[in-house]
Amino acid sequence: MKFVRRSLGAILAMVITATVMRVRGAGGTPPQHGGWRPLELPDH
Amino acid sequence: MVTVGLVGRGVVGERIARRLPSVLGDVTVVDIDTRTSRRVPSPLDVVVLAQAGAHAPHAVRFLDSGVGVVSVSDDLDDVQALVDLDDHARRAGIPLVVGAGMSPGLTELLARLLTSRLASCDEIHIAIHGTAGPACARQQHRALGGRSLGFHDGAWNRPPAGSGRELCYFPEPVGPYDCYRAEFATAMLVHASFPDVARISARVSANRRDRFTALLPMLAPPHREGGVGAARVEVRGVDAAGARVTMIAGVAELVATATAAVAIAFVAHLVVGRLPEGVVLAGDADLDTVDLLRVVAQAGVRLQDFTGVSSERRIRANP
Repeated sequence: MKFVRRSLGAILAMVITATVMRVRGAGGTPPQHGGWRPLELPDH
Repeated sequence: MVTVGLVGRGVVGERIARRLPSVLGDVTVVDIDTRTSRRVPSPLDVVVLAQAGAHAPHAVRFLDSGVGVVSVSDDLDDVQALVDLDDHARRAGIPLVVGAGMSPGLTELLARLLTSRLASCDEIHIAIHGTAGPACARQQHRALGGRSLGFHDGAWNRPPAGSGRELCYFPEPVGPYDCYRAEFATAMLVHASFPDVARISARVSANRRDRFTALLPMLAPPHREGGVGAARVEVRGVDAAGARVTMIAGVAELVATATAAVAIAFVAHLVVGRLPEGVVLAGDADLDTVDLLRVVAQAGVRLQDFTGVSSERRIRANP
């Protein structure tokens, strides 16, 4: 019983931490610019 | 009329033979089977070594016959043996091109082009994805089971192959792949061409199965030809204004096609006497890198560079 209570407590702590990070975190939007383009070779 | 000897008619050899006329025009390709004959056909302007196995013993024979050699080998020991033939080639007064494939080869050409835009360069990092024919696949399998070669802050290190995971973004359609250190010759040749660069690394893409089975014999026969491969060169240094910059160039192409294009570019320069005597490496500063890359593009390889994301936009996207 003690083991189950501790497990549930740990899971609850994980959920709260993940929720806080998800809501308050500063991940932002991944870059929407940049990429590969044909390489322009210089004139000699 | 140019006469080119070709040792090895695997996937790479076939592609070299097929694409040589598009660059050289009037050319005759002579197949040389080194397993059945030790005779060097005459006359030959240049010989391309594109067979599986060691290239160095055959290179000696052709140099002794006065024929310039272009080798696409990427095996560490074989490339070292080829580089050691520098005196031999100089005495013969002819070029010996070592590492004229996708990597080593195209990656060093791109590195030279990128570093020419910098005031000073201190890091070169190379990653490749994919294989050409079955011999290339077996070579990559061996490379993932050996000890890699890297240069870090002025000293060589030999960490186990398959370590050092790094997510590398290759040009489309290849995209991102996890890449790992491997035992192949690229870092050694990059250091030979760029002795002032403090950090050099070379990685190859692999999945968990590749790394897990690298120490075992190949469990399944390799494909006749791998799919679209890629190469990526990242150069870091300081520009003329003193700012830290990172520049990235790459290709996404069938590995055999990219290898053939580089070998053809060196053949084209060799037959018109544009290569110096002795061992020639793709990253050498005294080569006409831009023209070699033009020939590579002419042979069907699309060269690309990464535009990156300006820091202003990055900050706006992630305040």
